[in-house]
Amino acid sequence: KMAIRELKVCLLGDTGVGKSSIVCRFVQDHFDHNISPTIGASFLTKTMPCGNELHKFLIWDTAGQERFHSLAPMYYRGSAAAVIVYDITKLDSFHTLKKWVKELKEHGPEDIVVAIAGNKNDLGDIREVPMKEAKEFAESIAAIFIETSARNAVNVEELFQKISKQIPPLENPEGDSNESFKLTRQPAPSTRRCC
Amino acid sequence: MAAEDLPSEFDVVILGTGLAESVVAAAFSRVGQRVLHVDRRSYYAGDWASFTFNGLLSWIQEQHVSTSLLEEGEELICLSNSDSGSIRNVQVFCFTRWITDCFVTQASQTQGEEPEADRSQSEPAKKKINYAQLVKEGRRFNIDLVSKLMYSRGSLVDLLIKSNVSRYAEFKNITRILTYRHGNVEQVPCSRADVFASRQLSVVEKRKLMRFLTSCMEETEEQRAYKGRPYLEFLSDQQLGDNLQHFLLHSIAMVTEDTPTEEGLASTRHFLHCLGRYGNTPFLFPVYGLGEIPQCFCRMCAVFGGIYCLRHSVSCLLVDKESNRCKAVIDSRGQRISCSHFVVEECYVPANQKKVATPSRFVSRAVLITDSSVLHSDSEQQVSLVTVPPIAAGCPAVRMVELCPSTMTCMPGTYLVHLTCQSVGSAYEDLSPVVTRMFRTPESHDRENCPSVLWCLYFNMADGSGVEVEGHDLPSNVYVFSGPDGGLSHERAVRQAESIFNKVLPDEDFCPPAPNPEDIIYDGDTAASTGGEDEKQEKEGAGGEEKNEEGEAGEEEKKEEGRAGEEEQKEGAGEEIHEKEGAGDLAE
Repeated sequence: KMAIRELKVCLLGDTGVGKSSIVCRFVQDHFDHNISPTIGASFLTKTMPCGNELHKFLIWDTAGQERFHSLAPMYYRGSAAAVIVYDITKLDSFHTLKKWVKELKEHGPEDIVVAIAGNKNDLGDIREVPMKEAKEFAESIAAIFIETSARNAVNVEELFQKISKQIPPLENPEGDSNESFKLTRQPAPSTRRCC
Repeated sequence: MAAEDLPSEFDVVILGTGLAESVVAAAFSRVGQRVLHVDRRSYYAGDWASFTFNGLLSWIQEQHVSTSLLEEGEELICLSNSDSGSIRNVQVFCFTRWITDCFVTQASQTQGEEPEADRSQSEPAKKKINYAQLVKEGRRFNIDLVSKLMYSRGSLVDLLIKSNVSRYAEFKNITRILTYRHGNVEQVPCSRADVFASRQLSVVEKRKLMRFLTSCMEETEEQRAYKGRPYLEFLSDQQLGDNLQHFLLHSIAMVTEDTPTEEGLASTRHFLHCLGRYGNTPFLFPVYGLGEIPQCFCRMCAVFGGIYCLRHSVSCLLVDKESNRCKAVIDSRGQRISCSHFVVEECYVPANQKKVATPSRFVSRAVLITDSSVLHSDSEQQVSLVTVPPIAAGCPAVRMVELCPSTMTCMPGTYLVHLTCQSVGSAYEDLSPVVTRMFRTPESHDRENCPSVLWCLYFNMADGSGVEVEGHDLPSNVYVFSGPDGGLSHERAVRQAESIFNKVLPDEDFCPPAPNPEDIIYDGDTAASTGGEDEKQEKEGAGGEEKNEEGEAGEEEKKEEGRAGEEEQKEGAGEEIHEKEGAGDLAE
């Protein structure tokens, strides 16, 4: 049986570029035309095979906290990857990419995999951001680049496959006997000594 | 990203993002109230915040600005929106240049002023960390302004689990309880395994301790007879001997010599009750620091539609004269925002509306960055609580928490040490005698084997337990929260949040569980067709993580249908049993 590895992915980008739509397409293969800011979703999950591992993505949405520039540092904690989304039909949303990259450098983990997604590529006729320019920018910061359409299910799966491939293999767990854990109703395993 | 206007109508407006405000924000939002949550600062959690090293240096500078205009004999009374006045007596010392060259500066001069590289390395085997490295690796620090721990069966842990906010954070066990005694740091045996393994206890002491710990779990006639008399008296009548008495009074009950017996017993029982749930001590600590916890509750609030705005404040309240209720607020941009309830951190309340203008009690705090642990052991990744009884008559008992790098609060090769006590004098006066005794600093002598202090900060913070939250001259639908108290637990903040929530919405559940991620259905306009599919949908992982106590998660969902599966409830029942088996490590 393949080992399941949980990977936190955080989404960044301006309000309205389609962050939630991308997750919704990826996780539920569904597109809602008038999606309201995500209510009630702490994060969504989807599991994909990668090599001899299963990658279970825990995809965190900004929950609207980006709207007034009030994302909390805890949002970035422990993320294996970040997807920065812009809207190819809105030049402004591309210009603010740099700000998100900077923010990620400041608050994100050092070894985080960064992907840049130019969303709404189904609206090519009103495109404002040339693909070449975006691609060059992504290359300059060693980020994955892809144009997506959440509406038409274009490249969404591929985006996460690319991320999966760049996740470094699991390091051997070090001999730290006091590992961190999530709180559950059950006592955490392993740490209790037995007489 | 042009500055957008805020919506102009909310049910609840909350000013301040400390723990209690954040918990109540999540609670309101969770049951469908429209919440606007703002903080005038650029960071979350107010006096509960944690900072990177560089972030802390900026914080120090801010405090310095607000107090530097004070002259001898004057006192600062803060109006809302100016600095809170909850912080005083900030002093910073940097010893990285090492003993002879140490410098003592005012906060504002410290930043970026580290002298050139460390020349005098007293221990060639161990490379000293210099100030430039602390700054360079500053991001690896998460330095909390308050120092508390989470009781594994305390109300905060219960709330995190009940609400599912727990999935936003990870925790570590406090791995050992230490105490300072006769000039040495000793380990306090607190689990049954510890007692058996202890080398410092004699066989007789081990038996006595086990017998005492078992017997104190239930109230007896004998205990009742000591009601109102000091716990110390009760303990000494148990013929336990000095060792055990010290452990029980200072490290397990964590009370003072004159604490009444019933209180001492209650806190001993609470300690014992919390053993074994997650680890061998009763305590947990959040990875990345306590400052994460308010942020987690804020996220829960946002996930249910709450709107967040940092660097934003409320400048005035519009009060209906007839009903004496606050109808709306004017924000710092001059926008009118109507609301049915207004929740505010005490420090924002203008002095002339307050019942008592200044806090009555302060907590003394010190934060040290050191180069090694106060007690060496096989593992370098220990998280320790150290109880330090009063070092002389009239001195306060000091609580110390030593965090290792794996808690993600300090850079590799360092430890982060928090000291806390009730203020008698300034933080420096109260705590530096303990620091000098237990650590190597320019003022200490013969401390060759003690950890060296690389950098330290002293400050006083208003004690939230000494702050009035009622009786202010404010409208009836304005609720005031005090800042953090000096105690070890989070009970007070959680209780305050719950009581205000119940006052406003007496018929609503406080923080019901949020649905599991796997249960959320984006139904959009196809709501009718989702019902049948839902049931078939794979529920991988759901319920294995958490149990829904009431089995009704998501019933109140407006946009999505959360479902609480039957399997979940079944599993939950099994977990309850499991939990009971794990309880009361010592009392068995």
